[in-house]
Amino acid sequence: MLAAFDHPVFDSQRNFRELLQAMARPAMPRTLPVLPPAPAPATPAAMAVLLTLCDTSTTVWLQQPHDALAQHLRFHTGARLVQEPAEADFALISDPQTMPPLTAFALGDSRYPDRSASLVLQVEGFHPGTGYRFAGPGIRDTERVRIDGLPERFWTERAALAPRFPLGIDLYFVAAQNVLALPRTTRKLED
Amino acid sequence: MSSTYNSNAYNFGFLDENTKRMLRRALLKAVAIPGYQVPFGSREMPLPYGWGTGGIQVTAALLGPNDVLKVIDQGADDTTNAVNIRRFFGRVAGVATTERTADASVIQTRHRIPETPLREDQLLVFQVPEPEPLRTLEPREAETRTMHALADYGLMHVKLYEDIAQYGHIATSYDYPVMVDGRFLTSPSPIPKFDNPKLDRSPALMLFGAGREKRLYAIPPYTRVESLAFDDHPFEIQRWEHRCAICNAGDSYLDEVVVDDRGTRMFVCSDTDYCSQRSDNAATEEAA
Repeated sequence: MLAAFDHPVFDSQRNFRELLQAMARPAMPRTLPVLPPAPAPATPAAMAVLLTLCDTSTTVWLQQPHDALAQHLRFHTGARLVQEPAEADFALISDPQTMPPLTAFALGDSRYPDRSASLVLQVEGFHPGTGYRFAGPGIRDTERVRIDGLPERFWTERAALAPRFPLGIDLYFVAAQNVLALPRTTRKLED
Repeated sequence: MSSTYNSNAYNFGFLDENTKRMLRRALLKAVAIPGYQVPFGSREMPLPYGWGTGGIQVTAALLGPNDVLKVIDQGADDTTNAVNIRRFFGRVAGVATTERTADASVIQTRHRIPETPLREDQLLVFQVPEPEPLRTLEPREAETRTMHALADYGLMHVKLYEDIAQYGHIATSYDYPVMVDGRFLTSPSPIPKFDNPKLDRSPALMLFGAGREKRLYAIPPYTRVESLAFDDHPFEIQRWEHRCAICNAGDSYLDEVVVDDRGTRMFVCSDTDYCSQRSDNAATEEAA
């Protein structure tokens, strides 16, 4: 059994502040300050997000629920692992190419749009300044970033959710030590 | 003050870790849905409701040992509420505190936004008594939830229209309702409408906590925030014929203070840090 954070109180606080800034400033990569050990197929950055935010009151869906990973999460967070993506507060996508469609996850209720899934997607890397252009709350003008390792259908599925705002799904992409968030409000521009 | 934190007596920041995680999850959803009120399990705090328990819980979920905290009450650093909250976090988190806006990483505020422009690396936490802008018009939570779901805000426009019909202008001078990113009608907390323009496209992330009502919400940076108005009655902020009697500022929000029992008044900046910075600068220039 691997360890979690060395200093649970301070490590999760430092990671949370980066997650908060990542969500507040979409499409801009931030560095997670503390990476815990993680059993495969989870990466340390994905584990940092889950350990920071999950506990006995959250449900987690694992795309690849390997025994060691499931045990690790249960032991360190007490989170309830669920079989159906639709039941998950948090979902760990360790292989985006074969992930279920976004509509498989909870989009929230029109009176309570916060009751929606947050996805942690392990991707190959971020390349700011190239790729798609994004706009929305938190972005001053526009922000350009390429996210490697996503299936092309992903952007079509995400665009199809936009008209359903305030319902939606919030995304945390992790690669190496970095995290990049795309809340439901961030629009991918056509150009 | 930082030396008074005793890690055996309290968990860092007073709240337990499960509560902080709940608050953090709620804050992230709040940022993802700008202006929408996220319910949270508000805890009993060692201060009564109405003293900023919502703001305190949000601040407790944010703070780390390296933060520098500023707390203001109606713009002032030296009022009872501000002093007590600053002392509270000095004791339960051992964080450094400051009265200078520019030096703070987290600013908790009751009813003002500092005059000094905020930066991207600063967080502003508002204490909110009533998070629901429609509450005085519709007392039922189930109804206001539905109105937000449908973006049905006609009632608020009628209220503002009735102000104009009755008084000739929109009579709301504080807690003036805003539309966040063109979707959610949001209470800016009872800041004077003078401060509303500072909400629009702010470089700093703004977080709002209502302890008694158990709601929190957020306005992300660079987000469009419009004060409701009509084409023929545009939004206007307060203006004064006076300048600050201490620092001579003509651009800040002024408090009217009665200074004797014959009704003599003076106008001074509500933002004590802004006022003292200006006075100090003027004094330095005079000496030079």
